[in-house]
Amino acid sequence: MILSSSKILFRRPGFFVTAFVPQSQLRSIVSQKTTGTVTGTASHVRSSRGSYGFSNRLRYLASSSSNSSTEIHETTPSSSSLEELNQKIKDKGDEIRQLKADGVVDKDSLAPHVEELLALKAQLPPEETTKATTPTSKQKKDTLKQTHQKQKNEKEPEKELTESEIKTVRLAKVEAMRDAKVEPFEYSFDVTTSAAKLMLDYKDKLEPGEEDETSDVAVAGRIMTRRVFGKLAFFSLQDESGTIQLQFDKKRLGEEFQGLKDWTDGGDIVGVRGTVRRTDKGELTVYAKEWKMLTKAVLPLPDKYHGLQDITKRYRQRHVDLIVNPDVRDTFRKRAKITSMMRRLLDDMGFLEIETPVLHTQSGGAEAKPFETFHNSMDMDLTLRIATELHLKRLIIGGFEKVYELGRIFRNEGISTRHNPEFTSIELYQAYADYEDMMDLTEQLVCTIAEEVCGGLELPYGDFTVSLHRPWRRVTMHDIVKEEIPDFDFAALDPDDPESLNKAKEVAMAAGVDGIAKLNSVGEVLNTCFEELCEPKLIQPTFVIDYPVEVSPLAKPHRSKPALVERFELFAVGREHANSFSELTDPVDQRKRFEAQAAKKAAGDEEACDVDEDFLLALEQGMPPTGGLGIGIDRLIMLLTNSPSIRDVIAFPLLRPNTDGK
Amino acid sequence: MTEDSTPAPAEAATAEVHLDEHGQPLSKNALKKKLKAEAAAKKKAEKDAAKAAAAPANSKKEEVEITDPHLYTENRRNAVAQMEREGFNPYPHKFHVDYRIPDFIQEYEAKTTDGEKLQDKQVSIAGRVVSIRRQGKLYFDDLRGDGAQVQVMSDPQTYGDEEAFQKIHKIIKNGDIIGVTGYPGKSKKGEFSIFPTKIELLSPCLHMLPFAKGDSNMGGLTNMETRYRQRYLDLIVNKEIRDVFGIRASIITEIRKFLDDRHFLEVETPMMNMIPGGAVAKPFITYHNDLSMDLYLRIAPELYLKMLVIGGLDRVYEIGRQFRNEGIDLTHNPEFTTLEFYQAYADYNDLMDMCEELVSGLVKKICGSYKIKYSPKPGLPEVEIDFTPPFKRISMIEGLEEAMKTKLPEMDDPEVEAKLLELLKEHDLECTPPHTTARLLDTLVGEFLEDNIIHPTFITEHPQIMSPLAKYHRSKKFLTERFELFAAGRELANAYTELNNPVIQYNLFLEQAKAGSAGDDEAMVMDDSFVTALEHGLPPTGGFGLGIDRLTMFLSNKNNIKEVLLFPAMKPSDDQMALIAKNAPKKDATNTNMSINMAHYSSADMTNEDVLERLNNDLAGKAFVHGISPTKDDAKLLEKVLKADESVIASQPNVLAWTKLLGMFTPEIRASWS
Repeated sequence: MILSSSKILFRRPGFFVTAFVPQSQLRSIVSQKTTGTVTGTASHVRSSRGSYGFSNRLRYLASSSSNSSTEIHETTPSSSSLEELNQKIKDKGDEIRQLKADGVVDKDSLAPHVEELLALKAQLPPEETTKATTPTSKQKKDTLKQTHQKQKNEKEPEKELTESEIKTVRLAKVEAMRDAKVEPFEYSFDVTTSAAKLMLDYKDKLEPGEEDETSDVAVAGRIMTRRVFGKLAFFSLQDESGTIQLQFDKKRLGEEFQGLKDWTDGGDIVGVRGTVRRTDKGELTVYAKEWKMLTKAVLPLPDKYHGLQDITKRYRQRHVDLIVNPDVRDTFRKRAKITSMMRRLLDDMGFLEIETPVLHTQSGGAEAKPFETFHNSMDMDLTLRIATELHLKRLIIGGFEKVYELGRIFRNEGISTRHNPEFTSIELYQAYADYEDMMDLTEQLVCTIAEEVCGGLELPYGDFTVSLHRPWRRVTMHDIVKEEIPDFDFAALDPDDPESLNKAKEVAMAAGVDGIAKLNSVGEVLNTCFEELCEPKLIQPTFVIDYPVEVSPLAKPHRSKPALVERFELFAVGREHANSFSELTDPVDQRKRFEAQAAKKAAGDEEACDVDEDFLLALEQGMPPTGGLGIGIDRLIMLLTNSPSIRDVIAFPLLRPNTDGK
Repeated sequence: MTEDSTPAPAEAATAEVHLDEHGQPLSKNALKKKLKAEAAAKKKAEKDAAKAAAAPANSKKEEVEITDPHLYTENRRNAVAQMEREGFNPYPHKFHVDYRIPDFIQEYEAKTTDGEKLQDKQVSIAGRVVSIRRQGKLYFDDLRGDGAQVQVMSDPQTYGDEEAFQKIHKIIKNGDIIGVTGYPGKSKKGEFSIFPTKIELLSPCLHMLPFAKGDSNMGGLTNMETRYRQRYLDLIVNKEIRDVFGIRASIITEIRKFLDDRHFLEVETPMMNMIPGGAVAKPFITYHNDLSMDLYLRIAPELYLKMLVIGGLDRVYEIGRQFRNEGIDLTHNPEFTTLEFYQAYADYNDLMDMCEELVSGLVKKICGSYKIKYSPKPGLPEVEIDFTPPFKRISMIEGLEEAMKTKLPEMDDPEVEAKLLELLKEHDLECTPPHTTARLLDTLVGEFLEDNIIHPTFITEHPQIMSPLAKYHRSKKFLTERFELFAAGRELANAYTELNNPVIQYNLFLEQAKAGSAGDDEAMVMDDSFVTALEHGLPPTGGFGLGIDRLTMFLSNKNNIKEVLLFPAMKPSDDQMALIAKNAPKKDATNTNMSINMAHYSSADMTNEDVLERLNNDLAGKAFVHGISPTKDDAKLLEKVLKADESVIASQPNVLAWTKLLGMFTPEIRASWS
């Protein structure tokens, strides 16, 4: 285990310093396993865990001796000589700064002071420059150096404190705080501003070294990096809005400073009240008058080189991902904005947001395999909805003219970068509209949202740039398939001629399309050709229109083209984003379509649906001509946030159970 | 509109009704109203019949009023088929609408004068025909759409083409969706109308609609079952139903606005969980085929939302569906909607203030006043509930002691349960076992505090033992920093300073697990990953939950949750069950998600490698064909599988494990499985 190589410190920028700083002392503590006080403290923690009850809630253990905390410090060798040195360096530094402030700027006059400072600094042990509490005794240092050397020679891999060792030490600090009658898990804190707001408020204000003495601000957040120098400490604090530097010194904090040094670690959540100043280096800083531990983090922040490489760990422990990757937070902020805008735009157009059931007695509204569940007291099988379509249409029948539902849909499918078993969609229905209207509405919704969220209509996505400028391309499925299979015209086939199907299959197979053999209609062959040959190539937004009736059981027959329906799907970056029809309103036709589906199901197609008598009954009451539109919200968010996987836009995606027992 | 929409033609019967209507104050007793309405309807029906008989007999079949619903539907189906044969599309693709009916009325009603029409303004509207009257050559149709109603006053002169005029009016029946193009205007009597130049059938209604007769808003559809099962019918005939859902939508919109204004971020957390956490309730279980894994429908989003706060999203909320596998009653539906929000650095005191602001603000905004009338249970008189902030606050234990005029045992008293049980007996109260401290206390609180609350009141500082996710009180031993908001005896909201101490959380989960194994099936389940998340540090946080359905019930004065859900859960009717059974693929006997579909193997050759591979996939994660217990299907299938080559079986690990497991039973025992 390498503890004191300055190289390591430099190799670990940012907050990783934090995770490391305490380790040298921790290591020394932990290594004294058998008799060390920390072990004692740890067992104290364990015993309190085991016997926890209301009577011995730790924080009420009023004044038990503060042994453990003091003993922790006893294990840390005296650092007075180093502190002295540090103080000298600081004083010298202040002197130089003062000189500069007084207008001494010529190099020659400053040179002797700078030399003196450098000489002082040279006396510092190389790696202890940043750590006041690390061992300073020469002997100790030598031992460490030897260890270091030895390990290097043996080319042993770097070894750090394990997570459970760190946890033990941090729990000891929780105890120490309790013993000092300080609550390590505070109840509340009055925050007056945020990191981003401070940056904004003090933009172009305060010269380096200047302090706004009238200011009084309170911020709270997580310690991302932690540097302690003797009587001075700099932390960087991350809140929801960004990061800001904190400065602490003994001069201002008095006794409180010791607690700060002893108890805080990277990852802790603290609240700080103080003034605002700009450091000599020009960094905006909250200069603390008081500080408060709000939540002691028992586990450390992840180490970039191990923790975050594991992509599934990012999804499994999303909270950690959010802490260390600001981009991830931004994605979810955008997600909220996209759904919120979608709602606002539709509300403004007079649409009413509706909640229809998730638990259905009969699955329908899409071709997909449902999840099944069981209601105990009703003794009834239920399925989770695979679409909201049939219920929303019932409401159109009931007299609502514009309705939508933005909500979760469930499909019992495998998981992939495009599929999560539960996902969010919006379905909207507008009476007296048709699929042309829905195309206009889709363009309008997506473009308005993109402009607001992405600031424009040219979106980077992976290696592509997607241009959302209207109007988007509209192409019939026949035409686009013809682009790939130019010598054949599916539209020319007579649907009533049994030979048509064989011809279509031959052509499709010759074009290298898989899964053709089992298909039973020309429409399905055409659709499969489209999916295999064309879909992945559709990078720019494209409405593919006029689908075969065989693959569209809920869409209205085309007003002029036989065997087709008035339907479109929107494609971009090779993926489907929306699906829409002029809704089928004829109950007689709908029954025929359902029967065809039921036949497919009986033949083993698990995604086909049954005849839904209840919905047919509703249709018989008369449904106005209606345009319906469904948009996959997760995929839209992927597009607008340039995210390659659906798991990047779902906070807690479903993952295979972790096999290593965690 | 209700008054104005009554027919203009001076027909004796309708005029009478008209008069009666004006003489009736709205608040009249419902029964009387209904009787009157029925009497009026009868009269009108008689009149109509007389009128039909008197009318020139163009086509007897269509003019005679048919009262048998089946015959009516049959006739309509035939008529529609006939239209199609004649090349007339009864289901056109598109009708352009200039105005929604409410907008049409708003735009033109004030601009028109009695007896005149605006001949320079030709507009298109559409809706459902809810009544048809004929007077000579004139047709008076009432058209309803998006909650409003307007008269269509159709005459051959304005229409132009007389033949088309006759034809379309012959086609259109009550309940049809039609599109009307024409001039806005008013009848001589001052009734705002549209005077059509063209009428188009957009979608025929094949059924007789149970429309309201007379003045009643609640129409012929009063059967609760039918209303909920066929909500669209309810919405068509009972005008004010849609208002409830308008209220519901505005509650949700206002809540979003309230939180968005305070920089909360709306998020979506999983509805399918590996551990049902965050509340105590029986979950729904489902099964993910591809992952071979049981999943639970969420009972609360709490733990996920707190993980996001740990991740640095300081203010988050989710409005969404929760699922509990419980019975259905006046206040419970298996799926319901909640709001939960979490705010870092806030505590339960902050949340009480916010809750007052949110709830009273919603009441004021939606009902126009802080005071609302509410009937908490069917048959009970309405009470006035005053939502003027601040709300009353009662500390639970103190409140109980005051109400019961006795001292409760201390929470660490080893005999606390026995003593509480004694108290229950004293007051003749029942508590279903197991008699845990939490359940006993809950019974007392229900009796002595909750049931006596009318005006909104916070019950605060619940004992830790009842609140495993709430934080220990900063100054009161055994208690937590929690509150629940009650009004009219119903819980509306629940909130606390969140427990963020991982050690204590872990121990509380352990205690819950103990209670669970002691038979309390409502105990919370241990969630290790949540404890790990807490170990990364949750800032001091206040968390809040609100039942949207309950709040909607209050603000729309409904005492049955089914009234505020568009499609409440209903056990399917016998007819539906029969249909579903008929349509559903045949399932195997045990009918659980864990079951393998035996149909796949009943006639399959089990020595075939592909078939075995399929079985191998099916058996993943299962001990037996039907999940956790062996059946005769296992025994039967085993016989067939054992005919396969050993090496083939060995190549399918799940099948191999299954054969080994079954092999541990003797053939006699296997034969005894049912």
